[in-house]
Order: sequence, then C-alpha cells, then structure tokens
Amino acid sequence: MDSPVRRLTLPASAGSISTFSEFVRDGAIAAGVAEDELGKLDLVLEEILINVARYAYTPETGAVEVAYAQAGPSKLLVEIADFGRIFNPLAADPPDLSRGLADRQIGGLGVFLVRSMVDSIDYRREADRNILSFIFPIDGSPAGG
Amino acid sequence: MNIEATELEKAVLIKVTGRMDAENAHEFDQACDRWITNGTKHLIADLDGLQYVSSMGLRSFLSVAQKLQSASGSLILCGLHGLPRQVFEMTRLIGVFPVFETSQQALATL
Repeated sequence: MDSPVRRLTLPASAGSISTFSEFVRDGAIAAGVAEDELGKLDLVLEEILINVARYAYTPETGAVEVAYAQAGPSKLLVEIADFGRIFNPLAADPPDLSRGLADRQIGGLGVFLVRSMVDSIDYRREADRNILSFIFPIDGSPAGG
Repeated sequence: MNIEATELEKAVLIKVTGRMDAENAHEFDQACDRWITNGTKHLIADLDGLQYVSSMGLRSFLSVAQKLQSASGSLILCGLHGLPRQVFEMTRLIGVFPVFETSQQALATL
C-alpha cells in the first residue's frame, strides 16, 4: 500500500455498514474517486459485510476490520477481515442470469455484483482470519469490464 | 428509504425513494405483501427516486414478482436510472421484469 493504511473495527452486523461506508468514502474521495462512483463502493462494501455477518459468524457474532490505502495513482486497496469460520464467498458458483422470473434464484447476486464493480478481488485465510481484499478503480471503469 | 403507495384503478403504484439496502429492503416486501394479500394483481414500482439498491433489494423485487406471477399478476418497474439501473442491467434483471420509462406507460399495458 502506497499511502498510510487506515483501519476501523466494528461488530459484524448490518448496523455497521453505513459507518464503514462513510469511513472508506473518506479515503475514496481523497484518492479521487468520482462522486457518482461512490454508490458502487457502498454496494461492494455492503455485499461483502452482509456475507461476513451472515455466513462467517452466524449464529455467533464477532468483529470485522476494514482497512484501506491508496495503491498507486489510480487504485484504492480495501481489505475486509473477520475472525469467523472459514468462509470464501468467491468460491460460490456464479448465478445463472439466463433464467426467467419463475426460475430465477434469489441468492448469489451480491458476489456477482461485487466482481463486476472491482478491478480485482482475492480471498485468503491468514492467522484464523478470513481476508477479502479488493482493488476499487479510481477512474471509474473496472479493468475487467 | 421511503415507500408511498397509491391505489389506482388497475394497479397499485408504489413509489420508492432513497436507498434500498440490507437494513430496509424487507420494508418493501412488507408493503407489497399487504397489497398482495388484499388481492392486488398488479404492482407498479416507480423507482425514479431510488438512488441505490443492493442485492438485498434485488431479492425483494424478485420475491414480490414471483408471488405476483403465481397469482397471475405482475410487478412492473418504471423510472429506473443511475446506479439502480446499472445493477438491474448487470444482473440481467431488466429482461426478467417488465420495465418502462414512466408509470403512465406501465399502466397503459394493463
């Protein structure tokens, strides 16, 4: 990470999402992310944090740490870490987007949206922590399309 | 998020404004469920004032639409733009729901 790393730890719950979002928005704005791209950043954070609260910790609860730093001139690196059970949301099968209304599955769209909005995303298990790290594009267009 | 429902002759118009996220998406389900339980067949969601929708919101739209479809009704969307429109396009839900520019156009199809 090129700039100082900022970190925030809060309970893994839906109620923490808006505070995490404000926290990372500060870094995104300072790094030059356009105002109309901030909603995508909110969405990426929400989808990941909801997964942590729902799958890594349920039924118990725990803490989640969000850290970010500017990584190079046009990228924001964000890492989300929890101490829950081993859970890699990126391992899930992609949703079938070709199905009609009656057969459309209701789950699985969150991770799909996350992948669509970031340049890259990786999962690793390190020292009893699940760590998801993603690169959010500052110029507004994910390299992967 | 704010939800405002207006009963029309052939449908109920549900105007959704603000942000639909993990914390409040269930409010949309509940509002729609009340109309479905009362026998409403067609709901038109006016999303002109919707600024943000996450997968939890998509889940709500799908669930309401599936309930209406099984009752021979429909959930029609209109006014989608900005980030919510991108989210519906990326997930190819634009083709799953009937989508119109305005509520007048949606009503004209009923």
